[in-house]
Amino acid sequence: MTAMLELPKRWRLPGWGSWLAAALVAELIFFTLTTRHFAGGGTGMLDLSEQFAPTGVLSLGSALVILTGNIDLSVAANASLAAVVAGIALDHGMGTAVAVLLAIAAGTVVGIFNGIAVAVLGIDSLLVTLATQFIVTSIATSAAGQSPPGTLKPFPVSFQAIGQGSVAGIPNALLIFLILGLAVIVVVGYTTFGRSTVLVGYNRRAADYTGVGSLGTVIGVFMISGAVASLAGVLFAAYYNSAVPENAAVLLLPAITAVVLGGVDIFGGRGRIGEVIVAALLLGYLSQGMLLSGDSSLAVTMVTGLVLIGALVLKISLERNNRELLAARMRQIQGSFLRPERPG
Amino acid sequence: MTAAQTIETSPAPRQLQRPTRQLTALLRRRETLLIALMAIVIAISTGAHPYFWAAGNFGSILADSMVITLLALGETFVMLGRGIDLSVGVIMGLAAITVGFQIQDHGMTLLPALFLGAAVGVALGIGNALLVAAMRLPPIIATLGTLGVYSGLEFVVTNGNQVNTIPNEFTNLASNQVLPGIPEIFLYSLPLILIAALVLRHTVFGRSVYAVGDDAESAYRAGIPVRRVLFATYVIAGLLSGLAGVVFLIYTSGASATTGVNDNLTAIAAALIGGTALTGGRGGAFGALVGSVFLTLTLTAMSFFPEISDVWQPAGVGVLVLLAVLSDRRARQANFTARPRLRRLFR
Repeated sequence: MTAMLELPKRWRLPGWGSWLAAALVAELIFFTLTTRHFAGGGTGMLDLSEQFAPTGVLSLGSALVILTGNIDLSVAANASLAAVVAGIALDHGMGTAVAVLLAIAAGTVVGIFNGIAVAVLGIDSLLVTLATQFIVTSIATSAAGQSPPGTLKPFPVSFQAIGQGSVAGIPNALLIFLILGLAVIVVVGYTTFGRSTVLVGYNRRAADYTGVGSLGTVIGVFMISGAVASLAGVLFAAYYNSAVPENAAVLLLPAITAVVLGGVDIFGGRGRIGEVIVAALLLGYLSQGMLLSGDSSLAVTMVTGLVLIGALVLKISLERNNRELLAARMRQIQGSFLRPERPG
Repeated sequence: MTAAQTIETSPAPRQLQRPTRQLTALLRRRETLLIALMAIVIAISTGAHPYFWAAGNFGSILADSMVITLLALGETFVMLGRGIDLSVGVIMGLAAITVGFQIQDHGMTLLPALFLGAAVGVALGIGNALLVAAMRLPPIIATLGTLGVYSGLEFVVTNGNQVNTIPNEFTNLASNQVLPGIPEIFLYSLPLILIAALVLRHTVFGRSVYAVGDDAESAYRAGIPVRRVLFATYVIAGLLSGLAGVVFLIYTSGASATTGVNDNLTAIAAALIGGTALTGGRGGAFGALVGSVFLTLTLTAMSFFPEISDVWQPAGVGVLVLLAVLSDRRARQANFTARPRLRRLFR
């Protein structure tokens, strides 16, 4: 028996999630070194997450919608509406749990409307949610009135705790985001509904012919997106202790950016929720780090846009034709390092 | 030879039906419907509030709608090619700021101002075009990214200042009326719309835009340079948005770091209401004009009724978009398993 020829281990280009995670770590180290208050004795970094948890939660709902090949532009407006509904309920002396449930119910109703318009009437989701975004914004602004809830008298402490409290040093908002993220990972990866979501996004016709039925799936996805968006609105209202409807409107672009940065294909059918979570953390800490370093929020918007474009160009060029070539070249280089030159 | 002759002779019988056919086609056009609706809106508003019927009011509505018209016109080119441009509003804002500072601080006159606005628009449009046509990113994502970048740039350019003194030479264009109800600015914008309509209808480029939007694969096989056409649509959208920036200065006589941030979706809404389809290949330049004038007119009419609070104006835009899409049968591609099931339900 001749000794087996020792082949170099097959080297693969790491997946998109690894790149994101590496970028997140690098970013955290960078801001810890450059900005004095970023790490804040270890817990400061966790506390910062309270500010971007609503965006992260929104991106989870949007990720589900984008997985089916649709898009939901109404999530931010939905979050405003939920914040206002919860605020009004609290102002009328209802308990925290009732207020949160009412808020989520409001978002779910908007979500179901979106879903029915998209799946049954067959209107492009971009158009439907563009319209509902305008309509829901008006409803929220009108319901909030001249002095939005929370601006005159503060919300009860139990409600504020949703956005500001913490369990064992971990902020509640971050906990909610991570638990919801885990739930969405399980739903997408291990349930019939989740697998149909991906299939509908990958090929709607095939889904219909195999009896999966895109109708219920699309309505369900929009419903979940609405419910999740209203949860984000509740987090937002609880953190800022007010339900000013215009405030939550800025969450739309970062949320969709996180989904796309997280590698979800905008045409549906491909994407991992775990990577979306990492991308949301990456973007969130990027914005908080920049704000702490004294940059304006518009500079943050600009960098977010640049990151989105840069990441997409990188990802698409990696995927399109260079992936195999690049991996092969890397293998070659690695091989030449591992194997000593043969004499002769 | 015989083939050519048959082609030449074949239209003859159709010639007889033409007048009626053209009439019904004209009546079925979205623009005709919108003009009829506009008449209704004007009639209702004038009935309720007689001062709605004033030349000054119509003049300001037309002048007001010109910014959105130019944005929607650019958006029309992009949407006809089955793309979408979320950044037209901020391109308009950047052009308004850049030109505004030149006017305010260095006394730039109208003609150079127009050229500068157009140049800023084209430069930013090329940015979009490179991402979409050269890098082949999905348009909605690429322009979402540039929306962020450009709105940040707006802040960088203004650096905390704002444009607030525009000489009368400019602002008179919006307030002077050549005819009662027709402001000068409308007269100057009209040629742009006519040129755009001519380009779309009667040039090789214009027909290529429709072809690419309808079916890019077939267009490619027919020898149309698809990516070059797409590139051009985004540059044209940038150009028109840059000019819209100058019009914005003329109408509002000021600009700030947040100018145009909210106009991106309104421009898309106006183009949609004007009958341009998001799925590409259908629509036209006059749709952008009529759509945005209709939108502005309806919103102004809403503000005339004190019972309707101003917070419902966005809802008005939303409802109009929904109605516009619902009235367009071809924009609906219903779930094909849902249809028979629903039919069974309602039988």
